[in-house]
This record gives sequence, C-alpha cells and structure tokens, in this order.
Amino acid sequence: METFPHGIHPKGNKERSANAAVSEFSTPEIVAVPLSQHAGKAAIAAVSKGDYVKVGQKLGEADGAISAAVFSSVSGEVTAIEKRPTATGHCEHVIIKNDGKYDEEKLAPLKNPAPEQIVRRIADCGIVGMGGAGFPTAVKLAPRDKVDTLIINAAECEPYLTCDYRILKEYPREFLLGARYIAAALGLENFFVGLEANKADAAELLEKTASDNGISAKTVLCHTKYPQGAEKQLIYAVTKRKVRVGKLPSNVGVIVCNVHTALSVFYAVEEGEKSYKRIVTVSGGGVKTPANFWIRTGTPVSTVLDACGGIGDDAVKLLIGGPMMGFAQSNGDISVTKTTSGILLLTADEVNSEQSGPCINCASCVKACPMKLMPVYIDACILSGDVSGAEKYGAMNCIECGSCAFVCPARRPLVQSMRLAKKKIREKGGKR
Amino acid sequence: MKNLTVSASPHVVQKNKTTRGIMLDVLIALAPALVMAVLYFGYHVLLNAIVCMGSCFAFELLYTLILKKDFSKKAVKSSSCWDCSCLVTGLILALNLPRVITVKSWDFNVYRAMPNIEGVRAVDYVAFSGDTLILCVVASLVAIVLIKMLFGGIGKNFANPAATARVFLFLAFGLTWANTTGLGNVLPASTGATWLSGDKLTNADNLFVNLFIGNRGAAAAGETCMIALAVGYLYLSIRKVIDFRIPLIIVGSAAVFALLFDGLPNKLSGARLINNMAAHVMSGGLVFGSVFMATDYSTSPNTFWGNVLFGVGIALFTMLIRVFGGYPEGMSFAILIMNAAVPLIDKFIYPRPFGYFKKPKEKPLKTPDSPLPYNETEKGGIKA
Repeated sequence: METFPHGIHPKGNKERSANAAVSEFSTPEIVAVPLSQHAGKAAIAAVSKGDYVKVGQKLGEADGAISAAVFSSVSGEVTAIEKRPTATGHCEHVIIKNDGKYDEEKLAPLKNPAPEQIVRRIADCGIVGMGGAGFPTAVKLAPRDKVDTLIINAAECEPYLTCDYRILKEYPREFLLGARYIAAALGLENFFVGLEANKADAAELLEKTASDNGISAKTVLCHTKYPQGAEKQLIYAVTKRKVRVGKLPSNVGVIVCNVHTALSVFYAVEEGEKSYKRIVTVSGGGVKTPANFWIRTGTPVSTVLDACGGIGDDAVKLLIGGPMMGFAQSNGDISVTKTTSGILLLTADEVNSEQSGPCINCASCVKACPMKLMPVYIDACILSGDVSGAEKYGAMNCIECGSCAFVCPARRPLVQSMRLAKKKIREKGGKR
Repeated sequence: MKNLTVSASPHVVQKNKTTRGIMLDVLIALAPALVMAVLYFGYHVLLNAIVCMGSCFAFELLYTLILKKDFSKKAVKSSSCWDCSCLVTGLILALNLPRVITVKSWDFNVYRAMPNIEGVRAVDYVAFSGDTLILCVVASLVAIVLIKMLFGGIGKNFANPAATARVFLFLAFGLTWANTTGLGNVLPASTGATWLSGDKLTNADNLFVNLFIGNRGAAAAGETCMIALAVGYLYLSIRKVIDFRIPLIIVGSAAVFALLFDGLPNKLSGARLINNMAAHVMSGGLVFGSVFMATDYSTSPNTFWGNVLFGVGIALFTMLIRVFGGYPEGMSFAILIMNAAVPLIDKFIYPRPFGYFKKPKEKPLKTPDSPLPYNETEKGGIKA
C-alpha cells in the first residue's frame, strides 16, 4: 500500500453516516445563494430584485480569470440581493423565494466532445473543486505545463465525512465517466483513483464498474492516514513524484481532481446540468440521525440540521467541512455552497476544549507534519516576533492540515501560529 | 438559538495524549526500577524517592505561587506543578543517588550496629540517614528552582534537572557510590573506572547474569537492574513516549567506544573482551541515563538525526570520562555536555520541507576581459 511520510491517525467516525444512502433534501421556501462559492473573486450579480429565475439560471457572472459562475438552485422570484455571512466571511447573497416548480434551464448534452468543448462546458456550468478549496476546475484543466497523469482524489481523509464514499458506492459509473471526461480534457486516456484503505469495498466496486464500461481507471489503495487526501501527499503516494516547494502539481505533470468534481462534470457534459447542488454529509455526535443529502446550494444550514434532529443541548461546535480543516460557526444562518462537504455538529467529548499549556518540546508535531516542517520552532519564533526564523523553518509551506495541533500534548494552537507566521512573512514580502 | 463555540481548526485532538499523561507514563516506566532498587538497597531508596518527589513538587508549587504573588486556592490549582513533570524529575533524581550519602560535618545518621564483617564499613548498616534526606531536598531545590523554573519551566530548561542536581551533589558534597553496598554483593565495592578494566571483573563468576539482574554494589539506586530498565524502556517505546531507537543508539555506540578505548588498547580478547564491553554497558548509569535522561524532551534535539548525533555524543563523552578521566561515572557529565550542545545541533539539523530542492547555483556571468591599462600597453610591458 502506498502512502506519504509522517501524518496522523485520527479516529475516523465514518461509520455514523457511511451506510446512509444519499437522499434528496427538500429545499425550503427561501434560499440564499452566495455569489462567492469558490476560490478567487466573487461572481458579479447577473439578476436583480424582482426577477423570476429558473433552476440553473445564471445568478452571478464569473469575474476575471480565477472565478466561477453561480447558478440558481430553485425557481422563483429574487426577493433581495444582500450581504450575508458565509462560512469564512461575508459576500453578496441572492435571496430567492422558492415556488416549488423547479423549472430547469439546461444546456444541450455533448456527444463525443473535444477537449476544448469539455473545458468550455465545465466553465459554463460553474464547476469548482468540490473537495473544499473550490478552485475553478476549468482553470485547473488548462495548465501551463505538460500533464501526463490525472489522479482522482477519493481519499476523503477527513474524519466523519462520507459524501465521496457514497458517490463511489452509488454513482460509480457516472463518476468514472465524469473522470474520463476530465482525462479527455487533458488529452489523457487513463487515470488513477486514490483511495484510503478503509474504502476497499468501494475500490472493488470501482474496478468492476470500470472493466464493465471499458474505462481504463486504476485504483490505488493508500494507508488510512491523515492527510492522505492533501494534494501533494496524494501525488507522492500514487506516483512517487514530489511537487517542488512553491510549485503547482502540474509542474510534475499531475492534475488532482475531487470525486464530486468528476461527478459534476459527468452531469454537465451528458445532461447539461449546471453545478447548483451537491452531496453533503450531516454527522457528528450532536446529530440524531446522520445522513447524506443532495442539497441545493443556498439552503440554510440550520434547516438541514433541523431535518436531522436540530441542535441539541449537548452540541458545542457546528462545523462546515471536516473536523480537521473545517470552519466553526456560531450559528446555522449560513448557506450550503458548492464546497460544503460536511455539516458536523460535535459534542464536548469529541472536540478539544482544553486550554493550551506550555510547549514541552516533545517534537510530536515534527514527527506528524506531512510537509516536514518544524511547527515547534515556527510557533516559538512567531510568538517572539522572529519572522525570518519562522520563514527559515518553512512556515510558507504549511498546508494547514492541523496534524501538528492534533498531536500536541500541550494543546498548543499551532495552526493559528502557522497562519500568523504566513501573514507576517507575506507582509514582509517573503517567499517559500 | 444557543451560541456555539467558534475556534480555529483543527477541532479534534488526540485526547489520550496530554502533558500529564506523558509524565505519568514515565513514572509508570520508572516504577520497576524503583521496586528493584528498594529490593536491592533497602527502604532508604523509597525514603529518598518520597522526599525527592515531595520536595520537587513543593518547590515548583512555591515557586509559581511566589512569582505570581498569589496564594489563593485558584493559584494553587493553576500552578504548573500539576502536570507531574516535577515528580518525574524527583523520582529520576532519587534513583540517581546512592542509598545513603554521609556528610562528615553534619552526621545526622543513626547507626544500628557496628557489624564485625571484614571489608564492610559501618555506613553500610545505617538505620536512618538524616544527611541523605537533607541532601535530597537540596538537590531538589537545585533541580527544580535553579535548573527548571529559572529557565522558564517545563520545556524551556536547557539542562537535565536530575543530572545537574546529581552532578551538583557530586561536586559539592563529594557524593560517591563507594560505600553503598547492596544486599547481594558480588563485585568489589570500589569506584568504577578502576575495576572496569581490571582482571577482577573479568574473572568474576556469572558476570553477565549478575549485571543483568542488577546484583551488584557500588551504584546509584535505580541503575542496576537491567530487567527493570528494559521493562521501562519497552513501556515507553510502546506508548510512543520516546523514540525506541535513541536508547539503542546510545547503548550500541557506547559498546563500540568501550571496545575502542578500553578493550582493544588493553589487549583483551575473547570472553574477557566481551565481559569488558558488557561491564561498561551494563554498569554505571548508562542504560538508565539513555532510557530516561537522554530522551528528556526539552533537553534533547527535536529531529531524529539530531538525536542520533546527541546520543553518539553522550556515548563518546561517557566512555572518554570513564576510560581516560578521573571520575568513575561519566554518564551524567556526558548528558550535561551534550545538553549544552543541543541548541547548536538544532540550529543546523532540521528537516527540509516536503518537495524541497537545492536551487542550482547560478554561475556568475563571465565578465568580458577588461582592457589593459593604457600606460602598460604603451610601455609594451604586457601585450594582448
């Protein structure tokens, strides 16, 4: 089995929702679709108050090279366009009153598309990386360097999350065809699917489906280890190539795409459906009935939680994303976006609630860091104001996976120190 | 709707690993050594351990209270002494001391009897040693206040507190292991370095077995029984408190250095060579120090290769002191010397980021040949 050096073994907790089949979530009366659901610039509103919109109608136009279009998830009247909080900040939201008809506006399906057509279609459908980062896929599929390998990231190393696993189990054909379209867009015949060993059953199913449909996909089982799904770590595990410091994966001829992205590409190409809904895992100790839902973007998180039993008294943290890299929220008044892979409600036993103590120099973080940095020194340097010291120990290479803070026996907030260090180094004009 | 906690990621941690948990693990790992020390050397060791641990705890608590100028219950509760690292220091210190220490000018010792046994001195049969207990408290003061807390508390001290306290007693009070005969005594109770290379040792019966089970005299209390130390080592390795390779590297390189410095120059061969190596490795504080003191987090490097260098350095200095130096026991000095070298090691040995590559050196562009000075060409001295 393949893997990468270092890393940690958090408790998976995937069994809660792993066997819950994906069901359609009933969309509420009012949805608030954020115009920034991706990395890069927010989209510019293309509708105004009072307009009637259909499902799949463009709400926001991509602004600049690194941006993506945003589409309506319901049909109805636009009641307002206003600034609201998102998981990580604020942006303009298009508030739509759902009329429940779901009239859909689709593009014409593509038959045997050329690579440029596929990339064009991906851009037209506003598909972004659905693993969490939300990088526009069309931009990713137009790399400057020559690419010879496509890896589909099905590692899903974050604890609790099972949305990718459910896709592999329930939509293997659609997923593999979508991945083949991505490969075709890059001019490739075959591709790899990287999975963690805890999804061995899904890997078997994929291999069977691939041979049935004549798709040359190779599944690669990796150790169940966090962060196996981090881009550089997965590339190393699958191809043994090391992405150089400060370079993009295409520099070593590799492109990595998420499972859900591939599924969206399938629907975009074969059915002309735009990217306005996704599979979300609702789990955690505070959720009474863990589930996997197809949720339309713009659905409030609180509505989703209410459908799963509401926020109980024992819940202390609401997370958007996984527990290692997700964002904690004070309440559920934010919308589900294209990058919301999970909604977790965690209890006090599950989360860290201890105060941080002094560093005991145990170097656990050094042994855990998948980027081979020295979090212990970066923490010490940046807290004493030594920016160049933090730079020396590689703070700019941090992927903020949280492995260091996970293993720290003194519970030091190392990831926060890393972010501080990165900010200070950038202010200073430093590089990796 | 109730407000939920908001904090930065990650939101989950390894719950079973805390600072206190690690310290308790070390205490558990030290327990077999303590039990064997009490069996071999008597109740004095237990008394020393209790006094050392108690005074270490009390000094740390007092230090934090005095510095905070707050003696309330809350301040006591929030004191750093509750992480139990002071107890580890205390226990390691107690196991590093002989069972009794006598200071001639004080002499608070109660003699039970003057047994008429040839070669065994009276202090071997001390019923109660007041001197030892006072020295335990003094050593704890040095370890906790001078070495640990004044440098910033846990994780910030540059030298191992227990090793420093032991060396302090050694230098200030003439601490020796000469008069601390154990109950079973097969080896002549003289100071180490002289007998390590002598004939007496290599002729002794069952040397291996006796050294292994710790049946020997002239030692600090906790360092004799190899079985107990091995149990502690295995426990710490399995619990991943220490890197299991580091003690092996120290012991292994010490054996090599023993061979190079002592065995071969003295032209030993065969069984005597092996016996000499075994005696070097298993006697003195080498194994105890390599398992419990060289793996101390704050006074050892933070990288594996740094630790290898650190370990080999400890073995080298131990053997140099033992073979060529005047002290019988080099381990604590070697640890202190290498402790001082840790910042240097850490400065130069640190991992390169994943995907790091050496930038190819840019060759300086060849500058066009500078025209010769006008006057020289004119003179015809140098011509192009």
